[in-house]
Amino acid sequence: MNSLRWRLVLALVAILVAAAAVLGGFTYRNVLVETEALFDYQLRQMALSLRDQGEIAPSQAEALADGQLDFVVQIWSVDGRTIYATRDHADLPSRALIGLAEVKVGHQVWRTFSTATRDRVIQVAQPVQIRKRLAADAALRSVLPLLFVAPVLALFGGWVVSRSLAPLNRVVAGVRERDAHGLAPLPTEGLPVEVEPLVTAMNGLLVRLGESFDTQRAFVADAAHELRSPLTALTLQLRLLQRAPDEASRAAAIAALGEGIERSTRLVGQLLTLARSEPGAAAAPMVRVDLAEVVREALVDTVPFALSRGSELELLADDPVPVTGDRTALGVLARNLVDNALRYAPPGAHVVARVVSEQGVPVLQVDDNGPGIPPEERSRVFDRFYRRQNGGGDEGGSGLGLAIVASVARRHGAVVELGESPLGGLRATVRFGDSA
Amino acid sequence: MRLLLVEDDRMIGESLRGALRLEGYAVDWVRDVASARATLATERFDGVLLDLGLPPGAGGAGAAEEGGLAVLRELRSREDPVPVIVLTARDALGDRVKGLDAGADDYLVKPFELDELCARLRAVLRRHGGRVQPVLSHGGVTLDPATRQVTRDGVPVLLSAREFAVLEALMLRPGALLSRAQLEDRLYGWGEEIESNAVSVYVHQLRRKLGADFIGNMRGVGYFVGPAPGPKA
Repeated sequence: MNSLRWRLVLALVAILVAAAAVLGGFTYRNVLVETEALFDYQLRQMALSLRDQGEIAPSQAEALADGQLDFVVQIWSVDGRTIYATRDHADLPSRALIGLAEVKVGHQVWRTFSTATRDRVIQVAQPVQIRKRLAADAALRSVLPLLFVAPVLALFGGWVVSRSLAPLNRVVAGVRERDAHGLAPLPTEGLPVEVEPLVTAMNGLLVRLGESFDTQRAFVADAAHELRSPLTALTLQLRLLQRAPDEASRAAAIAALGEGIERSTRLVGQLLTLARSEPGAAAAPMVRVDLAEVVREALVDTVPFALSRGSELELLADDPVPVTGDRTALGVLARNLVDNALRYAPPGAHVVARVVSEQGVPVLQVDDNGPGIPPEERSRVFDRFYRRQNGGGDEGGSGLGLAIVASVARRHGAVVELGESPLGGLRATVRFGDSA
Repeated sequence: MRLLLVEDDRMIGESLRGALRLEGYAVDWVRDVASARATLATERFDGVLLDLGLPPGAGGAGAAEEGGLAVLRELRSREDPVPVIVLTARDALGDRVKGLDAGADDYLVKPFELDELCARLRAVLRRHGGRVQPVLSHGGVTLDPATRQVTRDGVPVLLSAREFAVLEALMLRPGALLSRAQLEDRLYGWGEEIESNAVSVYVHQLRRKLGADFIGNMRGVGYFVGPAPGPKA
């Protein structure tokens, strides 16, 4: 049984029963022994008092002869003649052992005490059965309270256990109320010190979960919102195509539609990339890679775009620069930086990517001779879906490129800085941690 | 009908302008708050299609999302009654209420269908003109802005887009005199080449198709449909 309550209750009851049994047993035995001793003492006292008394007065003899009495008193003369007997107990032998003895007569066992004077022998006898019964009664009576107290104690123990576990029940009820929409922390007031750390830890988890949920919700909302523009464009472009009155406008509409689809595809691709690079996504393992090599491979994909814009793309990465990271993500980072530089600089621009090791710190630097970004906007351009105010948002940018860069950099413990480039445009610098 | 399209997204702007031109509207297109303000302050439009998420444009600053609303508020604060349809990706109830309360005549959430936009545009323009009947009718000639059908005595008449635009402008306010320049404004957006005497050519074509006396002419002043205009309204 895997219940704290039942385990505690069972253990308590078991301990209680065992204690009661042991206590009861000992008490019973002790009382039995004590009573026996008391009876013996009584026998002895009776015998001794009869001895000292000498003759038995008739009134006393009558009392002693009462059939109700368990005692049998016999007095013999030294020569064995019976002088007196309370009852005619033929069963009892007319001889006696001096002191305490047990005599078996027929089925009955007697406890006897005999004492001798100069001329007589006095014996007081009592049936052992009666003694035993009386002793057992006495012993039982002394144990009896235990039988009543034990169940009461068990009930009390159960109540204490329940009360002690009540905070746990409150925590359970509290947790049960929580769902993805209500992740308020659980109250910790009045919790026992054993439970409080658990609840505090759980609250921490709730907060992190809530933040994660909020991020996801915001991301999905942003994504849905951002998809509206390309979808609007696609809808309109399709209607325009359907209404095209002549071949020339038809061709133009088809071209526009193609452009619209390309833009939507790019946006969805970027959204996926960002979702994959966000914390919590199943991340690829970090391995030792050559940053120069990774950037070189990534730039191969952007060369056609550079050529289509008549821009010049240059890579300065002569020496291997080892870095610990996710090869694919690093490629995405490099591609987005270079892609941004090409996209937001006018056609015919000059973009230079550099991979170097500055005092052991791996650095990726992308320079362009485009319009740059004014300092006050530099921190905001890393926000998802932020588009430059007057930065030519018509180049089909998804507004996600730098957000992806920032996300990948964060995962690698790298820092991204934007500044002025000696080429006249923007310089983006990604500085990896020493340990990277 | 001359429309101002305020939309920063290049693809949406281009295709919307193209589609509205096919519908026979003259469309001018600006892409930021500053240009929208300047244009609306100096030129007259029959309707405005306004995106809310606009960049501030040259010399401007401020939150981009408020850009469109600022333009709208400014327009209404100087009592400009031009019909405005807000086109936006913001679909929350609060945003719609805010847009309408700022003075929009209608609110359309992206992505929208072109047909719906056109229908709403017609409705807004109709209400703005104080008309109830969607079909314009005068002197045996009917013009349906929705189907773009023109009939004369119940017989359909085929008109080119520009001819239709001229006829619609004249029939919207029977008796009102429209100058050649005013008609040209309704026919051509910016950057469209205006053929000299284009208006007289279209009027000539219309008279041929609808009857010589359907469109009146005050030499050197302009054209009208219906009773000869009194002092110009």
